[in-house]
Amino acid sequence: MIKNIVEIPSGTMLDVDVCIVGAGAAGIATALSLSGRGLNILLLESGLEHFNQQTQNLYQGSLTDANLHSPPDKYRHRRFGGSTAIWGGRCMPFDPIDFEQRDHIPFSGWPIVYNDLHPYFVLANRFLEAGTYEYDADKVFGAEAKPLFKGFKSDRLFTNNMERFSCPTNVGLRYHRRLQDAKDIQLILGANVTGIRLDANATTVSHLNVASLEQHTFNVKAKKIVLATGGIEVARLLLASNDVCPSGISNKHDVVGRYYQCHIAGNLGKLTIFGNPNSVRHGYEVSPEGIYCRRRLALDAATQRKAKVGNLVARLHFPKIVDPSHKIGVLSGLFLAKNFISYEYGKRLKDGQATLSTYLHHFKNILFDPIDTYLFLYRWLTKRTLAQRKFPSVILNNKNNQFTLEIHSEQIPNPDSRITLITEKDTLGMPKVNIDWRYLPEDIQSVEKTLDVFVEEFQKSGVGVFEFNKAQLEEDLTRFGAYGGHHIGTARMGNDPTTSVVDQHCKVHDLDNLYIASSAVFPTSSQANPTLTIVALSLRLADHLAQTVGAKAQAQHLTI
Amino acid sequence: MMKVLILGATGHVGNRLCKYLSQHKYQVIAASRGRLKTPIHDHIILDTLNFEAMRTALTQVDAVVNCVAGDKYSIGQGAEILANAAKAAGNPMIIHLSTMSVYGGNEGNVTENTPFDPSYGWYAAAKCEAESHMQTYADAGGRVISFRPGCVHGPGSHLWVSRPAQLLKSYRLGDLGDAGDGWSNLVHVDDVVRAIKIGLEISLQPGEHKKYNLAAPDSPRWNQYLFDIASSIGATPIKRISRLQLKLDSKLWSPAIKVCQIVSRKMGLKVSFLPEPLPPSLVKLFDQHIFLNSDEFSKAHLFSYTTYTDSLNDSIQWLKSQL
Repeated sequence: MIKNIVEIPSGTMLDVDVCIVGAGAAGIATALSLSGRGLNILLLESGLEHFNQQTQNLYQGSLTDANLHSPPDKYRHRRFGGSTAIWGGRCMPFDPIDFEQRDHIPFSGWPIVYNDLHPYFVLANRFLEAGTYEYDADKVFGAEAKPLFKGFKSDRLFTNNMERFSCPTNVGLRYHRRLQDAKDIQLILGANVTGIRLDANATTVSHLNVASLEQHTFNVKAKKIVLATGGIEVARLLLASNDVCPSGISNKHDVVGRYYQCHIAGNLGKLTIFGNPNSVRHGYEVSPEGIYCRRRLALDAATQRKAKVGNLVARLHFPKIVDPSHKIGVLSGLFLAKNFISYEYGKRLKDGQATLSTYLHHFKNILFDPIDTYLFLYRWLTKRTLAQRKFPSVILNNKNNQFTLEIHSEQIPNPDSRITLITEKDTLGMPKVNIDWRYLPEDIQSVEKTLDVFVEEFQKSGVGVFEFNKAQLEEDLTRFGAYGGHHIGTARMGNDPTTSVVDQHCKVHDLDNLYIASSAVFPTSSQANPTLTIVALSLRLADHLAQTVGAKAQAQHLTI
Repeated sequence: MMKVLILGATGHVGNRLCKYLSQHKYQVIAASRGRLKTPIHDHIILDTLNFEAMRTALTQVDAVVNCVAGDKYSIGQGAEILANAAKAAGNPMIIHLSTMSVYGGNEGNVTENTPFDPSYGWYAAAKCEAESHMQTYADAGGRVISFRPGCVHGPGSHLWVSRPAQLLKSYRLGDLGDAGDGWSNLVHVDDVVRAIKIGLEISLQPGEHKKYNLAAPDSPRWNQYLFDIASSIGATPIKRISRLQLKLDSKLWSPAIKVCQIVSRKMGLKVSFLPEPLPPSLVKLFDQHIFLNSDEFSKAHLFSYTTYTDSLNDSIQWLKSQL
């Protein structure tokens, strides 16, 4: 059932089996998976069913370098459904190599392997409405389907791996009914956790403090507690709860908030494919379940190991939008509309200084390219604005077989890249965060080495040429700073408490009843966007929790 | 040899039941209200609303299985006449084919003890009424088993196999998102038939009325079932269908089709050229989170259901044989 915090009498102590903090992708997946197993589940959500600016303001904080990271209240929403209210829907699993300890990636290695997560990836894929769990384009569309590049063959650079797109599903809207109907789930909106209170020995969480913006407060006692907030908020909650442990919860070794990772991303280089534009599979394909899918370029695991590089994917992209010399009306239209697009989606359109002449040239592009612009607008309206399953992004007609590559790369875990608390407090009295995101020269070198392989493999294949400017690579990859919305590594998973915060079951090392379901626990960042893996880890955690408290196993088709 | 009268023998369940019981050493009298396209052995024409005819037929048998479908009179009054005629004919055992519709708008885990909801629609009301007549019969010393199946699919099911297939082919159904999140509560027609045979073998005391839900416990949510049908008939990629589209289709477009069907029939025309209507009740069902709990019968009679995969394969094979 769904309640508002005012329905809970102030000063109450709720006593439940499992308390989950945060009703976003992780929290809702955990709660629904636990449902029907004879447990009493409490799900606390700070936000309301709709966006509320005052609640969102609780996410405000500071930045060490505003050029490198977006403000803390951007790319994440504090509301029922969490950031799935604004996400782009891109789904892909972490690769087996991401879980490995790799000597060329310091601090890499998970205490679990890909196969531990595989069954949960299958369910997570369904939960996020991304169709069947299959990410090999040859298997989804058949080996005879048109490939990314006709005639391209390589044993190092592969083009058959793909990403799938969720609707994008807002899990708050999609699973509202199920949460409302579940007799064993109590979802309380407007409920902010303001403290994780430990017993005197600091071995167990004794209770949580909960407060509304209107200072309506209550406490929660639970056998098991799951922090299912985002990567930044997990660190904040652990660090701010410092009454028993002065350095914060499970932070004896000063790991909480460190190793903060996003992704290294940029649109760069020049890929020219020879011959007819038909020889390139550009844009989206639709799988039998109606899912938009897109092929990508990536090195296989053996090549990554040999070249000593991190994991990276590249997608075909079009020229830089800001520069009107592309003469494409649609892109110019996007450029001119950039101020009407939300911060999260407009950010990468705001590139460099635009002069009056730039604007005039963009107007000219639209005037001279009216048919494509009109067709684009029509398609955008019918396939995106009015559609329930949304066309994922702007795709232009490929006229000249020239592309740039959109790079999305893993970054090396770095203890100096971190989230810390500042003295300034939010309206609930919780200290705000500072984000000091950093990247290393090795991150740029890793992309460079990977792209060197791209260059060689295109040359060998004879289907085209790829070039990129090494001198400009760092600038290209950091022009917009960290890729927005992927907040990873601040409470990493590991066997060694000196370099990690949670164990392989997502349980905080120092405590026996506190768990974390969040991208905060990812030790490394992979090439993949985090949402699918967040949900998979949450579903795995739910099974583990149910086992530990002696609840019955769930026939999985019943919940997710 | 047990002698069984089957009412509604030309219907989906009745037809397969006749064959099954005949193969299993029952003496079957198949009854229906109309003439047959394909002859059935030992068939009689019987008006279930005619008390005298019913009484005569019932005196000759040990048990009767009521598979009558139709309008609210055939269902409700028919059951009343059946109960009275059976009483007058010396109390043969009645196996009554009821439906999960008796639970109406109930949601969640629905067991045999969940209260009825006749307010849900004419069909629910008629089926509730029918069961109340069965209860009256039991109260007067009769023996009754009421089976309440979910959605009976498998070979021969227009409602749950060929109808959704046609709607999927024309992209009027597909991925319904949260509007298709209800449980499908599917049950293979042969499972219903097997359950009825088990029912005939249960020895009841006079005055007993057993009630059992029937649904395969591994039935998926509707979205999954719709996708599985679509992919097996190549109606892919499936489309995401919005609630608005479902509403417009079921409340505007489908009523128009229905009117055309009625007019065409009156004019003696074939209606197969018309598209399949999508009734509002179906749209409502896809969105109803009802889980028909069938544990009671499974546990009491060690009954195991055909798996979802096998039922689906059977349904699809039949569907393809129809094309």
